[in-house]
Amino acid sequence: MGLPDASGDLSSEMEVDAFRRLFPLRYFERHLSESIRPDARPLGRARDTTLALGAVASAHGSALAKIGSTTMLAAIKMEVMTPFNRVTGRRLHWPAEAAPVISKQLSDTISSSGMINLKELSLVSGKAAWMAYLDIYCLDADGALFDAALLSAVAAFSHLQIPIVSLNDDGKIELISEEDDGAKLEVEPVNKEKRKLTLSSIPFSLTCILHKNYILADPTAEEESIMETAVTVVLDSSSRLVSFYKPGGPVLAHTSAVQDCVALTRQRVKELQNILDETLSGMEID
Amino acid sequence: MVGLSLGEKHFIQGGIDQNLRSDGRKRDTYRPISVETGVIPQANGSARIRIGATEVIASVKAELGRPNALQPDKGKVSIFVDCSPVAEPMFEGRGGEELSTELSVALQRCLLGGKSGAGAGIDLSSLIVAEGKICWDLYIDGLVISSDGNLLDALGAAIKAALSNTGIPRVQVAAGASGDEQPEVDISDEEFMQFDTSGVPVIVTLTKVGRHYIVDATSEEESQMSSALSVSINRKGHICGLSKRGSAGLDPSVISDMISVARHISEQLINKLDSEISAAEADEDEM
Amino acid sequence: MASKGGAAPSTYTHAPTNKTRRPPFFPDSDVDWLRSDGRGFHQCRPAFFRTGAVNSAAGSAYAESGKTKVIVSVFGPKESKKAMMYSDTGRLNCNVSYTTFATTVRGHGSENKEFSTMLHKALEGAIVLESFPKTTVDVFALVLESGGSDLPVVISCASLALADAGITMYDLVAGASVSCLGRNLIIDPISEEESFQDGSLMITCMPCHYEVTQLTITGKWSTANLNEAMQLCLDACSKLAKIMRSCLKEAASASKD
Repeated sequence: MGLPDASGDLSSEMEVDAFRRLFPLRYFERHLSESIRPDARPLGRARDTTLALGAVASAHGSALAKIGSTTMLAAIKMEVMTPFNRVTGRRLHWPAEAAPVISKQLSDTISSSGMINLKELSLVSGKAAWMAYLDIYCLDADGALFDAALLSAVAAFSHLQIPIVSLNDDGKIELISEEDDGAKLEVEPVNKEKRKLTLSSIPFSLTCILHKNYILADPTAEEESIMETAVTVVLDSSSRLVSFYKPGGPVLAHTSAVQDCVALTRQRVKELQNILDETLSGMEID
Repeated sequence: MVGLSLGEKHFIQGGIDQNLRSDGRKRDTYRPISVETGVIPQANGSARIRIGATEVIASVKAELGRPNALQPDKGKVSIFVDCSPVAEPMFEGRGGEELSTELSVALQRCLLGGKSGAGAGIDLSSLIVAEGKICWDLYIDGLVISSDGNLLDALGAAIKAALSNTGIPRVQVAAGASGDEQPEVDISDEEFMQFDTSGVPVIVTLTKVGRHYIVDATSEEESQMSSALSVSINRKGHICGLSKRGSAGLDPSVISDMISVARHISEQLINKLDSEISAAEADEDEM
Repeated sequence: MASKGGAAPSTYTHAPTNKTRRPPFFPDSDVDWLRSDGRGFHQCRPAFFRTGAVNSAAGSAYAESGKTKVIVSVFGPKESKKAMMYSDTGRLNCNVSYTTFATTVRGHGSENKEFSTMLHKALEGAIVLESFPKTTVDVFALVLESGGSDLPVVISCASLALADAGITMYDLVAGASVSCLGRNLIIDPISEEESFQDGSLMITCMPCHYEVTQLTITGKWSTANLNEAMQLCLDACSKLAKIMRSCLKEAASASKD
């Protein structure tokens, strides 16, 4: 800073920055009228999205999802327990780090989408079942938290490797450690075949901001703080509507706007499905 | 919190520089120490220690429990210190909580040794009654009654005294229980096992004020410290734990020097404490 | 467990079992044993640092040392809470937490309650608190995965995050720990080695000033062992500080381009 020849440019830059801070709404509206956003995205485009699987070695399944700079780390730990509801049991646990609202939305979405077949978590019918503890930590918050959290959760479940267990003489479940795998086993493992969950109809989501007649897909934290009406659409991989959230806000949406949001989400689901598939196939090659 | 004027601060620092502290002591002299044992009849062992105006009580309670699955041949000891606002208004709320945790952690570090149990002042395997099934859980509680500096050393000494005052009832384990069953026990009302406290270390805190370090600092002196090292040393001269307080950094050579000074002082302190403890025990027996 | 009675001891404890695993070495004998990750006794795990891991923070850093993975964000300086008295020096607020999946047994990380105060003590001496009067700097550390020597890694990473946030410091703070196992001193122990250690020593220091900001010792130590361990740690700290410094330089030159 302070180079003499750059001072002209710098002062105009400072003015833009000051304008952005002082009149954020006008700043954004000027951009929107040109159909572009301050980060150079068109209105309907989501930020770059990346997935990394197996980020946490101490968990049985884990994934790191990044949408723009929003970063979510999800990890699943499996524990054996006696099922409390007849056949199988599963509980989702959310740490206080993620907002309770998002936690509730997420557990509702995951359970209602039917992505996980709870029967697959059963080990010995009526006696033992897997408990999957899913924990999601938000490492960096920059808008669209729910989308990133759901993506990381879904990816962690697709990465999940269920540990091999065997039934010992006392009728208790014992874990077989990884290194003994392949060695001669004294006891036959109970779940040799069932080491992966079959995920059917995976849910993906897109959050849009409604402002006047504009629809902004995948908002940043700044956009979320300035324009308050958000709509989150969750569709599964065959484009069926899983859930739809519009928690109030000053903008009352026309049905056409809702349809536009759904259409944007449908595109986004294809993108996300591709990203997940590519990441998974990348894992298999390794 | 001690509020001192600039003149008072200079007086304290100058006195320490000249090896003549505000209360007439030298840098390496303790205030008078007095020990009283058996002050809490409900506890298995207890002691009250006064060092100058600092006064603390330690109590030991023993209860039968189940050993940790990962260490079936060891009993459990927990140490907790309570700094009640009775001693000082500053101890109310978070300030007291933080100090309590700090003191508890420092005492655990000094008395319980490494993960494997090496260097522990209290031999955890002597607390076992039936391996993997029954053990003694020792609950050591420290209470700060009045605070005028050097709390950690006082608490360490009080715990040492309380442990030597501790009698653990002899336990008969009924034979015949097998497998996973919990055996039945018979706790004796008359026979008590005395605790071997020869290995319990003492804690010596050296407080650095200016260029010199002093033992047994008062609150006023502590307010002028740049940093302090608390070293716990047993009779054999082994270091059993160490923690540092104060924000200022220390040169490693200074640390080594402080440790060797602490070791030298600990010999005198152990002898002094032992004679005080046995005198206190004798007093108690007479009554 | 299938490895019961087997000759090769497994190095990977999967989940809580009721059996104690014996250490895969012989601490009391003179027999040479190897560390389970193949390192020499006086060899640290490779360390990796990167600044700017969290966009929304004033400064942040990510550190990886073997299986130990830590992320630290620094927020502020911002106005101190109302209840605080006026102070002409800045305040430092530190918090260390573990993810629930950080340890092999779920939720065991919460045992380390004193880490927050330890982090505070280790950093306080290195920061020029006078440079931000009346305000507070928050340091939040999250242990993503615990693989042993967690606290030294957290402290080193936090000092890097502070530097990334532009907080004025006298020097970086680097941390290292040594475990005493029988007659041997091993540096930068992994969790498994920590659980069998006879004693442990942790030093955090400002390598350029050659000053120790925090020192903790547990277990039984002779003078000779103690001096050797301290020297080992100090050497490791100064090496670590070089890596941290080069990480900062890289970040600075990258942002210039």
